[in-house]
Amino acid sequence: MQRRDFVKAIVAASMSAKAMLGQQTSAPVAPSTPPPTPTAPGPVPWMRGLTEVKPLPMTPLVPDAVAQTNAHFFNDQQRATLRRLSEILLPPLKSYPGATDAGTPEFLDFLIGISPADRQQMYQSGLDRLNAEAKQRFGIPFASVNASQADQLIRPWLKTWMTDHPPTEPYAHFINVAHSDIRTATINSQAWSEAAKTEGQRASDQGLYWFPVDPDIHRENLTPATCRPAPHKRHS
Amino acid sequence: MAEEKVDVLIIGSGHSGGMAAKVLTEKGISCLMLNAGPVADVHKDTEMKPAYALPFRGFKQPGQLPHVFQSNEFNANTWVDEKEVPYTYDPQHPYNWVRVRLFGGRSLFWSRQSFRLSDYEFKGKSHDGFGDDWPISLADVAQYYSRVEAIFRVRGRAEGLPQYPDGNFVVDDSPWPTSMQRFITAGKQLGVPVCKARSSMGVDGLASSVNLLLPDAFATGKLRAIPNVVVRELSVDKNTGLVNEAHFVDRLSRREMSVKARVVVLAAGTLESTRLLLNSKLANSSGVMGHYLMDQVYGPGIVCSVPEARDGKATPELIGGYALIPRFRNIDTKAKNFIRGYALNVHSNIGPMDPRNFATYGEDLQKKLDSYHGSGFGTSIMAEVLARYENHVSIDKNVTDAWSIPVLNIQTKYTDNEFNMSRDAVDTSIAMAEAAGFEVLSKNYDPNPPGYSIHELGTCRMGDNPKTSVLNKWNQSHDIKNLFVVDASSFVSAGWQNPTMTIVTLAMRASEYLAEQMRQGNV
Repeated sequence: MQRRDFVKAIVAASMSAKAMLGQQTSAPVAPSTPPPTPTAPGPVPWMRGLTEVKPLPMTPLVPDAVAQTNAHFFNDQQRATLRRLSEILLPPLKSYPGATDAGTPEFLDFLIGISPADRQQMYQSGLDRLNAEAKQRFGIPFASVNASQADQLIRPWLKTWMTDHPPTEPYAHFINVAHSDIRTATINSQAWSEAAKTEGQRASDQGLYWFPVDPDIHRENLTPATCRPAPHKRHS
Repeated sequence: MAEEKVDVLIIGSGHSGGMAAKVLTEKGISCLMLNAGPVADVHKDTEMKPAYALPFRGFKQPGQLPHVFQSNEFNANTWVDEKEVPYTYDPQHPYNWVRVRLFGGRSLFWSRQSFRLSDYEFKGKSHDGFGDDWPISLADVAQYYSRVEAIFRVRGRAEGLPQYPDGNFVVDDSPWPTSMQRFITAGKQLGVPVCKARSSMGVDGLASSVNLLLPDAFATGKLRAIPNVVVRELSVDKNTGLVNEAHFVDRLSRREMSVKARVVVLAAGTLESTRLLLNSKLANSSGVMGHYLMDQVYGPGIVCSVPEARDGKATPELIGGYALIPRFRNIDTKAKNFIRGYALNVHSNIGPMDPRNFATYGEDLQKKLDSYHGSGFGTSIMAEVLARYENHVSIDKNVTDAWSIPVLNIQTKYTDNEFNMSRDAVDTSIAMAEAAGFEVLSKNYDPNPPGYSIHELGTCRMGDNPKTSVLNKWNQSHDIKNLFVVDASSFVSAGWQNPTMTIVTLAMRASEYLAEQMRQGNV
């Protein structure tokens, strides 16, 4: 259970317990008393004792520590190309894991698979072109190119660029954005974080995470904006 | 049912609403503040986490917040979700509307750059013939700026430049690192002044409505506040024409409610205040409401390296810190292909370099990152966007938000004046960096989409003529004398300056005027 949910459960438990204590008294009932809170079908209130419980001595495990991502978005050829591209662009360096050690190709399969169509298309056509160029230049799929062959295919497209302004030519855009994504997915992995700790480096991936603040209870029911009817709730 | 009529209803809790509340309550006037979002509690609502423990490994959730370039997976829940509060635009000309509805608004998150406008902004038309002058000058607002600067504890240094007016500063007499000195020297050769940056120190590192303004207002006992209520519409008394009621909806339950007020102060942020007035069909006898939307160009700039700081030789004496190049074009000379001007933020960083500054990968990239570590130096633009009638917002009747409130359609685009200015800023930066002996690694000429700066300005501009402006020089509606709009929608021109100090200054000035008018029984 997330810490926040846990806190909520405790708050709910404490309110519920108070409400039930109220019911057990024999004091006169005021005419305005609200209907009784539903109780558990047994003698013990459902949430009794939760406010006293001590946190478990556990550090929640992130699934990547023990499990593999089931990749299913890219086709076999695209996946093999992305895997080789990841190996080439970010190999293991010093004691740090390479992109494939960090599960980056599989993570990107997941991430791109749930991304908007234009990003999916940019990746798919980029990987297809990289593979086609390998076949054209060297007669082998990109998944089989050696480091020198890969360099000839990739380096001409690498550009310097500033935040939010990657190259606009579609293939250069793919090469440079994929490079950035592969680095981010790897450097933000648990494997990288562990390596940094081993090296005595301060973890650079720590950040202040904001939970949803009083999330809108109707949020899940929101229809796409353009489908919503015109308003009828006018006052004048 | 409550039949209370509040003295002043303030809609919005950011810097402008916070200042209105502080001024009015300190003068003994009771205020009720409505805010569309919840109160954030950093202790309850945040936690330090590693990126790998987040659902998307630090990437933004795909499809979320497509127009909030500033968002990431850590802070995504602080921004307004445009699925919840949409807006529409021409797909060829997108607009980045970046919003925060937490109590305190965007004052919770800002870069603290603290500038006065000069008369090159207040009286721009008199200087170059374009647009309109404001109905006020720097002399009219200087004393208010001084008081605001004292509250915000603005750190800076007097420079004596008319386009970069000096203020009431916590004096910054820190020495320049030598890399910055070289850049200053290069600027002198090119006629470009490099000055000390100016920013709000605030208190305990924060310079927000929630710690500098609202605590004083609450301390008077005269301010009450309701979070989580979204104002749908204002209505007027049919006999007097005065605004007298706000209709709002509970953000969570969707319960519809109303509250009566003697005076309404709108401080919901430029475009939300305008949206509310347009939806209410009020205060627009001029027909200019929604027009003259401005912001500032962000995005263009350069990244360089200071060669002497490479390979482990970076020291705080050589690298680090900030400087500011205030507008220098079209002051004494005339630029060839644009009017007005831009400023440049200058920054130097002893930390790691962004790998995107090197067109290489793998081990070679790592060697570059190691070698260049601590040698970073860069500039980034803040450029004036001209006030044009055709850049405007209107109500899109076909689309509503999560509370069935009609949304804004935003029509705005940059023109050659902004693009030419951007090009000049980057070319000037490169010339200065090369003259200083720096290696230019990357550059960008393309502006971010309009809105990115989070400095939306105008759409209820002030002026002396009720036929061509929405507000008078006191931020008071020409049409409805008990309606004030104290956020940046009153701006007549944008300038290059972060508008926060001017917003808060004008909110202070307007609120003191309002209090006096109430005392005299005029409002």
